Amino acid sequence: MPRKNKRTPRAVRGGRRENYRRGKPKPCAVCAQGGALDWKDASFLRKFVSDRGKIRSRRVSGLCPRDQRRVATAVKNAREMALLPYVSIR
Amino acid sequence: MRDYEIMTIHRPDLTEDEIEAKITELESYLSDSGVSVTKRELWGKRRFAYEIDHMSEGYYSVLSIHAEPGAVDSIDRRLSLADEVVRHKIVRPGE
Repeated sequence: MPRKNKRTPRAVRGGRRENYRRGKPKPCAVCAQGGALDWKDASFLRKFVSDRGKIRSRRVSGLCPRDQRRVATAVKNAREMALLPYVSIR
Repeated sequence: MRDYEIMTIHRPDLTEDEIEAKITELESYLSDSGVSVTKRELWGKRRFAYEIDHMSEGYYSVLSIHAEPGAVDSIDRRLSLADEVVRHKIVRPGE
């Protein structure tokens, strides 16, 4: 009978998962372009919302704490002016 | 004195000339109340991300102004009363 793969996942075992992403952290997308953020630039803000129109989490967006907050308010401003959707069904 | 940005959305059933006139009207109102307009941007007709009052597009424009904080309230009020303005927003840039 073939043996099933019952090994514990890497994250539990430690090992490689633990030291993945060593080295210099990638600069966040807003900082990388000089830190300027414009809520009127809908195409740029599109990068930080999902297809459904939800704001991407910090983990996914990779933004630094300050810029995550700024992007969130920018998206909300843009939504009020119908530049970005509140919800989009796809 | 502080910098502000006023974004307005005008009704799509107006013509370009009418929009132009409305914005010039707003600008002259601003300069009358001691506000200097530093930049004027007309984006033209743009589709909304969602329907507003059964309209699916509108004329966007952005005015950058330099005003006393107190002047903003009256501008805000004026824009909310204007029938041709679908939506407006006054923000301090860089916030």
